[in-house]
Amino acid sequence: MNGIADKYAADNVGSIFLYTNEAHPGEIMPPLLSMEQKFEHALKLRDIYGVTRPIMLDSLDGACHRRYGSMPNMTWIFNRSGIPIYKSDWSDANSVDNAIAYYLDVATRRRNKERLAPFKVERLDYRNQDQEQFYAGLARNGPRAVTEFRDAF
Amino acid sequence: MTDQTDLEKYNYDKFVPENFMPWMRFDESPNLGEQAPDFPLWHAETGEETSLSAIWSANLYTIVEFGSFT
Repeated sequence: MNGIADKYAADNVGSIFLYTNEAHPGEIMPPLLSMEQKFEHALKLRDIYGVTRPIMLDSLDGACHRRYGSMPNMTWIFNRSGIPIYKSDWSDANSVDNAIAYYLDVATRRRNKERLAPFKVERLDYRNQDQEQFYAGLARNGPRAVTEFRDAF
Repeated sequence: MTDQTDLEKYNYDKFVPENFMPWMRFDESPNLGEQAPDFPLWHAETGEETSLSAIWSANLYTIVEFGSFT
């Protein structure tokens, strides 16, 4: 997702990471109890996972996250007026890349005076499942995070 | 949601279905094509308060990835 942010920054496309609750807390990365702790975890995310986009924190009670559906790693795209034009219940760079390329083309078509009307589309996109990397991430949170995930599914 | 019990429910301590499943409400999220709800947000590096609307209004399009370390 950092690569998508870089790829489209010059096209007037902004990109942020919005920090939520801890989906898989463990001994090393425990659940959040304060905003101070949330700031600490967000900076660890930046440093350990190399997130180069601006990281913004939701409130401790997750008011924004909850209103937008509370999924652990979803992506939304907004236009400048605050209209959501894309939402996915999981984040995938290929899907977002595809969507942004389409919307930039829409902007070009509008500049070329095409008369465009919105309509809704539903489709299934497909993402890579790197189990090894996922479990390595869980292990960074603490052994309990690995055990709980295995037990849950 | 402001009381301590709800805070603890959202920031659950164990990844077990009874804790995380109640929060999976993507089907109840805002509709595409309609004005999105705005919320205050805080910059991780500076602590400066901003808002989702300030962020989405700064560019032609804005990508917002939700997530956490874990």
